[in-house]
Amino acid sequence: MSEITYAASGRPPSTVISLRPSRWKKVYPAIEGYLYLAPTLIALSIFIFLPVYNSFILSLNRIAPFGNQKIYVGFDNFARLFADPEYWNSIKVTFLFVLGTVPTGIFLAVLLAIALSYPLRHLSGLHRLMIFVPVVISSAIAGVLFRWLYNPVVGYFNYWISLVGLEGQDWLTSKQWALYAVILATIWKEFGFNVIIALAGVQNIDNSYYDAAKVDGANLWQRIRHITLPLLTPTLFFLLIINVIQNMEAFGQIHVLTEGGPGQATTNLVYSIYFDAFVGTPQRGIASAQAYILALIVIAVSFVQYRGLGKRVHYQ
Amino acid sequence: MKRLVRDEVLLQVLLIGIGLLVALPIIIGFLTSFKTPSDVFNMPPRFLPSEWVLDNYKTAFRATPFGRYLINSFIQSSSIVVAQVTFSILAAYAFAVLEFPGRKVLFFVVLGSLMIPFELVFIPNFIFVTRLGLANTYPGLIVPFLGSAFGVFMLRQFFLTVPKELHDAAKIDGAGNWRYLWQILVPLSRGAIGALSIFAFLGAWNQYLWPLIITDQTDMRTIQIGIRFFMENQESGADWGAIMAGSIIAMAPTMVAFLIAQKQLVKGIAMTGLKG
Repeated sequence: MSEITYAASGRPPSTVISLRPSRWKKVYPAIEGYLYLAPTLIALSIFIFLPVYNSFILSLNRIAPFGNQKIYVGFDNFARLFADPEYWNSIKVTFLFVLGTVPTGIFLAVLLAIALSYPLRHLSGLHRLMIFVPVVISSAIAGVLFRWLYNPVVGYFNYWISLVGLEGQDWLTSKQWALYAVILATIWKEFGFNVIIALAGVQNIDNSYYDAAKVDGANLWQRIRHITLPLLTPTLFFLLIINVIQNMEAFGQIHVLTEGGPGQATTNLVYSIYFDAFVGTPQRGIASAQAYILALIVIAVSFVQYRGLGKRVHYQ
Repeated sequence: MKRLVRDEVLLQVLLIGIGLLVALPIIIGFLTSFKTPSDVFNMPPRFLPSEWVLDNYKTAFRATPFGRYLINSFIQSSSIVVAQVTFSILAAYAFAVLEFPGRKVLFFVVLGSLMIPFELVFIPNFIFVTRLGLANTYPGLIVPFLGSAFGVFMLRQFFLTVPKELHDAAKIDGAGNWRYLWQILVPLSRGAIGALSIFAFLGAWNQYLWPLIITDQTDMRTIQIGIRFFMENQESGADWGAIMAGSIIAMAPTMVAFLIAQKQLVKGIAMTGLKG
């Protein structure tokens, strides 16, 4: 190695009297890459990788109610969870929430994307602005806006419903309706995002397929059924996974709209973790156990996406 | 031909209709924020204010430390943006240009962090940050979000598209990696770095769960949390005009960011599927 360096420097070895001043110069290229990576790696290690481990340790412990003593309980936190009807309720709420938001959200977005594709066009600036703005506001503000719409006394929602002869409700405090109310607000907030992805998928389909189908005399429905939808499956798959993950982790709008209530009608897994870890007497052991279970589900779903994505994404 | 024109008009009407329907909750919030109390609580609801007033905005700023919330949010968000962008530029350069043992493995380690949901790490992070005495401080709001795997990935993809010859030419001119990166590559990547900044800003500004738990003093709250407590604290006869005024102020910076970077944002989302 040193001979090569000397050869490159064009000087015979004998003229190099001391290596000291150039030692850094020799070491630096070897560690340069790591130095550039260091800020990101340190940040991610402290606030993501290490906590993954610490979270697991927490989930195996219980904090004694008085004082801060940790008691090792093994997998008892997990066992307790699965014996707890409240936990099963939060699983059910999460499941219903995903079921309520995802298929409807994707269906509406794909419908609009397909409408926009005959003939193929892009969204103009104004349309894009109107459809997309809910995506860039926070879930908390979305919650506040819908709190106002759902106001039982002077809210718009009850007024609109009364126009078609239906009876108004106190949507957010009704055990029967609260979850649907949160679902509607969520579909609204995510609509623009889904449209953008669906539209990109539709626009990716080569026009020649449609031209060929037209020559064969296929009508509009046949073209949608046999060309658009099959060629859109990778996009649909992607939307499905992204939406499932996103909505399994919903929190902001729930906290603002219902605080998990009434009762526990809108307490999903994330809300339950937040509640157990930070509201009242913190039970961070059991909250961490819940976080682990949720994370394993989320990671499993994103792994499915990762596998699927590998087959479809190619860089130009 | 006539039919085409008719279809086009129909489609435009339909699109405007859908657009208005989607934007309606925000439009209603906007109009409500300029109404007098009697307009706000009119039933049936009055769509347009009978009289446009700014009182709600004054109330929002007087009744709560709204200005303070805004400053907090700006400090928190801009710090996160600066850190994420700087750290990502450095790491992306290492992954895209430099060669060293373990580069591939480390790249997958960084990408792997994208898979880990925030719910898994926020309790240990809360314990750690609190123990450092950083609850209710700006560093406490900021530190968990210094690194961004998404930013690293996005910039690496962009750096890979820059021709290698440029680097060789810079080397011949005597520029080391550091100078090549900051004087040539970064200016060339303005577009990508700008888009990343906007993504990072939207993500930071709209954060909810972390600021909610790491601040419990009123004057350290970010605007998202501030609005929520403002709304919650007014039990009966909530001042919805002022709440809407606050919401409009809270969403204004994200709207501006969106208007500045509409195209990149939409393209970025369509390509990566990652939300802002």
